[in-house]
Amino acid sequence: MASFIQAQNLTLSFRPKNRESVTALKNFSLEVGKGEFVSIVGPSGCGKSSFLNILLGLIKPDSGEIQLNGTRITGPGQERAMVFQEFGLLPWRTVTANVELGLELKGVAPTRRAERATELIKLVGLKDFASHYPHELSGGMKQRVGLARALATDPEVLLMDEPFAALDAQTRDLMQMELLQIWEHTKKTVLFVTHSIEEAAYLSDRVIVMSARPGRTKDILKIDLPRPRDYEMRLTPKFNEIKLRIWDVLKEELTSRG
Amino acid sequence: MTVKKYLAEHRRLWLALCSVFFLVTAWELVLTYVFPVNPFFFTKPSLIAVAFKEQIQGAKLWHDLAVSSQAFLWGFSFAVIVGIPVGLVMGWRRRVEYTLDPFLTALYASPLVALAPMFIIVFGVGVLGKAALVFLLAVFPFVFNAFAGVKSTDSLLINVIRSYGGSEKDLYLKVILPSTMPYIIAGARLAIGRGLVGIIVGEFYAASEGIGFAITQAGDTYRLPDMFVGIIILSLIAVGLTELMRKLELMVAPWRATDEVP
Repeated sequence: MASFIQAQNLTLSFRPKNRESVTALKNFSLEVGKGEFVSIVGPSGCGKSSFLNILLGLIKPDSGEIQLNGTRITGPGQERAMVFQEFGLLPWRTVTANVELGLELKGVAPTRRAERATELIKLVGLKDFASHYPHELSGGMKQRVGLARALATDPEVLLMDEPFAALDAQTRDLMQMELLQIWEHTKKTVLFVTHSIEEAAYLSDRVIVMSARPGRTKDILKIDLPRPRDYEMRLTPKFNEIKLRIWDVLKEELTSRG
Repeated sequence: MTVKKYLAEHRRLWLALCSVFFLVTAWELVLTYVFPVNPFFFTKPSLIAVAFKEQIQGAKLWHDLAVSSQAFLWGFSFAVIVGIPVGLVMGWRRRVEYTLDPFLTALYASPLVALAPMFIIVFGVGVLGKAALVFLLAVFPFVFNAFAGVKSTDSLLINVIRSYGGSEKDLYLKVILPSTMPYIIAGARLAIGRGLVGIIVGEFYAASEGIGFAITQAGDTYRLPDMFVGIIILSLIAVGLTELMRKLELMVAPWRATDEVP
């Protein structure tokens, strides 16, 4: 399998003000196939978000190389879009204007932009809220806007940095189901960072477990659950078994940090 | 019952009205019955009211207001045009911040009206001199508030713009300026007060017309009711403009008014 995303020996360290430098990633490698849904779990501070930011092109690694479809990533690009944990919506823009942001920055014509935004807003179920402002929406709705904005630019890779962590449990379950539905019919490549083993197991084709800082790949687990997946699947013994496998790997990393 | 409820709901308004009414009445009564002071040295509301009515009907007050407004508008507009960009760039670019900081801090902290005589010498006693003084006083709140606004801009939003390949110009226009708007308007509120000081001081020093001149002239000739008319009109203008800014603030930043999620 020719890999779509290929990260090789990424090392990244940064220096917080007046502190010693911290190595976030050390020789981190990862390969992801086109259309694959891959989750990354790991202890806090293991560099999983940093990896997404490298992939997004916002930060540069100290060493190592990262390629997308055979081309080296040197900065932000058309083919990648991020869904942020804290939504990152512009509070002075309506839902529509927020969804249009990415297209606007890429210079898409206003009429085309509006069409595309309407389409995406419908897809995430916010048709009646198109002219609302973010402060008038619930957390779940805000993240739907975040998702619609990312999808609007039609990226090949969707990066999701703990996108549902700020939501309540039920909204979270609902958003996971909807994300799966959207993924099934758009077939984007998804990299999904999460703290939740359950979420990783439910959504992914593969789960990458990272070691405590400095982050390296500790183990890669293939999730062989059939698709499409539904909520009931989460209640089966097999699902629990998968969760347990992930937990077993992760546990050592959590305890080793104290 | 309903009256009580009405009063409870609008207590901010009626308490304010009551306190103004009480003060004015007390002033009037004390100066009429307790210390009947010579009207040459002090005055009371009833006399001010008569002067007020006369002045509003005359032409001189309106002419003075027009003269002062012109200088104020010129000075204030330039403060906006210069202050906001300087503040934004200072907030965004460390190098610019460190370069300009010593001058701005020194100038902001010192009583700038001390420079009034110099300004009048350099720019003359006309509109230009007063406008320059208004500018000098009003520009700093714009600079400092725009600066503070940029510093408080959410870095996540900056990253969002960058992640979609946004340019430096996009950062300024789509994130930094809109997120700084509430700060700028709060700055405008301060700038209005300082700008009015600029006008009045300019006209105190050297002028032959304008509201500040009218106030000093009335004072110099012991026409105290006329002097108070000028002062009251000034404070009405200041309150009006400040309230306008408050409304504007809610308009440009409606998300700040209601923070809770419905």
